[in-house]
Amino acid sequence: MPIVIFELPDGTQRKVIASSGTVLMQAAVSNGVDGIVAECGGNASCATCHVYVDQRHVELVGPPNDVEDEMLDFTAAERRPTSRLSCQIQVSDALDGLVVHIPEEQV
Amino acid sequence: MSALMAAAPGAPVVELDLAELRDDPYPAYAELRRTAPLAWVPSVGRHLLTRYEDIVHAEKLPEVFSSREEGSLLLRTVGPNLLREDDPEHRRLRAAAEPPTRPRQVRDLWAGTFERTAHELLDRIAGRGEGDLIGDFAEPLAAANLAVVLGLRNASADDISDWSRAMMAANGNYADDPDIWLRAEQATRAIEDAVAEMAEAARREPDGSVISSMVHAADPVELTEIQNNIKVIIGGGVNEPRDVFGVGAQALLQRPDVLDRVVADPGLWKRVFEETARWISPIGMYPRQLTQDYEIAGVALPAGSRVALVIASGNRDESVFERADEFDIDRPHQPHLAFGGGPHFCMGAWVARHEVSALAWPLVFSRLKGLRLVEGADDRMEGWVFRGLTSLNVTWQV
Ligand code: HEM
Ligand code: FES
Repeated sequence: MPIVIFELPDGTQRKVIASSGTVLMQAAVSNGVDGIVAECGGNASCATCHVYVDQRHVELVGPPNDVEDEMLDFTAAERRPTSRLSCQIQVSDALDGLVVHIPEEQV
Repeated sequence: MSALMAAAPGAPVVELDLAELRDDPYPAYAELRRTAPLAWVPSVGRHLLTRYEDIVHAEKLPEVFSSREEGSLLLRTVGPNLLREDDPEHRRLRAAAEPPTRPRQVRDLWAGTFERTAHELLDRIAGRGEGDLIGDFAEPLAAANLAVVLGLRNASADDISDWSRAMMAANGNYADDPDIWLRAEQATRAIEDAVAEMAEAARREPDGSVISSMVHAADPVELTEIQNNIKVIIGGGVNEPRDVFGVGAQALLQRPDVLDRVVADPGLWKRVFEETARWISPIGMYPRQLTQDYEIAGVALPAGSRVALVIASGNRDESVFERADEFDIDRPHQPHLAFGGGPHFCMGAWVARHEVSALAWPLVFSRLKGLRLVEGADDRMEGWVFRGLTSLNVTWQV
C-alpha cells in the first residue's frame, strides 16, 4: 500500500497509508486530515477537496480530467498549474511517496 | 429492511411541538445538541441527529444511512427519483441530470437568461417604489430560472411555482388531506405532459438543459424516470434560492454597515450567501434510514431506524461556529452543511450561488435605490423542514 503525504498550509506533514484502487481524497478523509472537506463525497461537484500536487510529482499524477478541470476554476483558494481535486486522483502503488499540499481554504 | 416507526431502545425520547418548530426551531435544536444529540421525536416520527460532527459522519456513510426511506411521502407524490435512491442507481440518474448544473454551464449557458429575467422582473416593479421582494421578485426569478435550466420552455414561472407549492404541500401532508393529494396529482400530471413534450423536442435538437441531458445520457434513462426527477427538482428547486435571497437581503437591510461594505466590495456577496445559508438553512433537515445496526451519538440504532439529519442544527453548532446564532459574514471560513453532503450534495448549488449571489442581490441593491424595510410589516420567518421569509416588504426611491 502506498504512503502519501499531505502537507498542511502551516508546513506540518501528515503521512497516511492510502489503499490502491481508492482515491486520494479517501485517504485524507479516513485519516482525518484537516483541510480536505470533500462535501460531495468524491463526485467532482463541490471543489472542496482541492490539493496542489508537489512540483516533483506533477508528471507522475498527471493532468485533471475534463469534469475536474471545470470545477478547478471554482475552488476557494487560487487555482495553480499543479491544482487537482483529490477525489479524482486514483491511488496506485506508483504514487508511493507522493506529496500534495493542502490550500489555505476549501470554502 | 423495513422501517422502524418507533424509538430505538436506549434512545432518549423528546416531545417537540411542530407548531413551535415551525415558528423557531433553533432553541429546541440547541437543547437537543446539549442534552440529547440523537433523540426520538414522536411528532416527527424520526430520530433527530443534531450535532455537526455526527451529521458529517453520517453523510460520509451513505451505505449505512440510506436515502431509500420507506413510506416517504415524497415517493408517493413523485415516484422513484434520485433524491431517494442509493448508489449505484442514484449515480446513474445523477450523472444523467447533473451536467447542465455544473458551474461552467451555468456561466456559459444560463447566466445571460437569468440576468434578463431579473431585469424584467425589476422593470415591472421599479416605478412603484414599494413591493414584496419575495412574491414580486425572488419567487418568480427562481421559478423562471429553474424552467430554463430544466428545459421547460413550455412552462411559465407561475406554472413552476404552482406545481412546486402543490408538491411541497403533499410532501408534508401527514394529516392526509385529500384536497392536497388531489392538487399534487394535478401538478404532477401537468409536469409529466410538459416534460414529455420537451423530451421529444430535445431528442431532435439537444439544448443543454437537464431534460436534454437526460434524454441523451450515455447510460439510458426512461421517460418516466426523467419525469419523476424533474418533478423532484421542481418540488425542491424554487423555495431554497428564494429563501436564501430573502433572508440575506433582510439581514443586510437590518445591518446597514455590513450592506455598505458589501456594496463597496462585491466580492463579499459570496460570503453573504454562504453565511445566510448557514444561519437560516433553507432546507433544515432530511431523512435517512439505517441499512444495518449502527451506533451514533452514543445510541445503538438497529437496522431500519429512521433518522433525520438536522443540518439547520449542525449549522448552529457552537463547537464549530463561534457565536453560531449570529449572522456574521466575517466569521472564519468553515464548511456549512446547508447543501447537504456526500453523493446527494445539492445538484443545484452552483445554480443557486450564481442566481442569488452573483445576480439577484447585486442587481436589486444597485437598481432599487434607498432600499428600506417597511417598519411594522409582518414579514415572518417560518418553517423548520424548509425555512424562509413569507414576505419581504420594502420601499425604495422612485
Ligand atoms: C440555496 C439553495 C439550495 C439549497 C440550500 C439546497 C439544499 C439541498 C440539500 C440539503 C440537498 C440534499 C438533500 C438530501 O441529501 O436528502 C439538496 C439536493 C438536491 N438539490 Fe438542492 N438546494 C438548493 C438549490 C437547488 C436548486 C436551485 C436546484 C435545481 C437546479 C437544486 C436541486 C437539487 C437536487 C436535484 C438535489 C438531489 C441531488 C441528489 O439526490 O443527488 N437545489 N439540495
Ligand atoms: S469531493 Fe467534491 S469535488 Fe472532490
